[in-house]
Amino acid sequence: MLRARDNPFASERLHALRFRLRGVTWEGLLERFAALGHRGSLVGPEGSGKTTLLGALLPRFRELGFNVRQLRLTRDQPRFQPPALDELWRDLGSHDLILLDGAEQLGPLRWRGFLRRTRPAGGLLITLHRAGRLPTLLECGTSPELLDELVADLLGELTPAARRRNRELFQRHAGNLRLVLRDWYDCCAAGTEALDR
Amino acid sequence: MNELKIGILEDQAAFRPGELLRGGAGWQVGEPPRSVETRLFWYTKGKGTEDVEVVATESFERPQMQDARPFEFRLPAAPYSFSGKLISLIWAVELVAQPSGDAARVEFVLSPTGHEILLHEAANATSPG
Repeated sequence: MLRARDNPFASERLHALRFRLRGVTWEGLLERFAALGHRGSLVGPEGSGKTTLLGALLPRFRELGFNVRQLRLTRDQPRFQPPALDELWRDLGSHDLILLDGAEQLGPLRWRGFLRRTRPAGGLLITLHRAGRLPTLLECGTSPELLDELVADLLGELTPAARRRNRELFQRHAGNLRLVLRDWYDCCAAGTEALDR
Repeated sequence: MNELKIGILEDQAAFRPGELLRGGAGWQVGEPPRSVETRLFWYTKGKGTEDVEVVATESFERPQMQDARPFEFRLPAAPYSFSGKLISLIWAVELVAQPSGDAARVEFVLSPTGHEILLHEAANATSPG
């Protein structure tokens, strides 16, 4: 049995994967965000890398001098925790940049209230499943080729069997790489033949 | 460039609950450190959310830019180091220097047997027939 700590698809290793930016440079993306008045959204379906991209942008925003304030909503946790939000509203200023992951969890009314209260902030970047609430900074998408790259990074190489499994899992999960990589974890934990050549 | 090192006395890799863990920490940093401390903690690795708990910390008084200090921790009774398919629990001591935030760590096993507990073996040993 493969120990969890040795599983190449353990969370820690997935978090360490770098985001693959396509069609634009990091500088170009930051310029685009500035041109949007530092108000924008990262749009894409579940498992398309929006959260990973937010994480990759965070140190770059800090380098630009922003005080980054992170908020996260999920299906399991669709409401803000009051202490965190009270603190945010209390001292929000132009040096603050709010990153809200999971903005689709807010209904229309709560979204409008949130937007109004974030006006003093120097910036607001949200993630959404569908475009609409703020101008789109970038649309995140996945492809079998991207999955091949990620799996090759994690396994050290991509065998023909692993490539076949990627195609099958990509189709089964409709391009949701989070689910695909979870399946890979289980596959490695079980030591199935998918890792063989 | 900052350099931090931490080690356990005689490179002991496994301890029993309640045992004393002794080690040494050394560092060379580019600016006067605000604080340097060792942390005894465990964390989980595997599928899903990771968990971490700092069990004890020891701050060094008046740390210099280049320095070396001994440290010791009395280890708790639990949790034991273990690994299953979904989760591993790993013990470690870590050296952290501020304000740089640089860190170094060394892992060890905490277990009454002196070995990491492997859940599938434990299950096989207790299953009837």
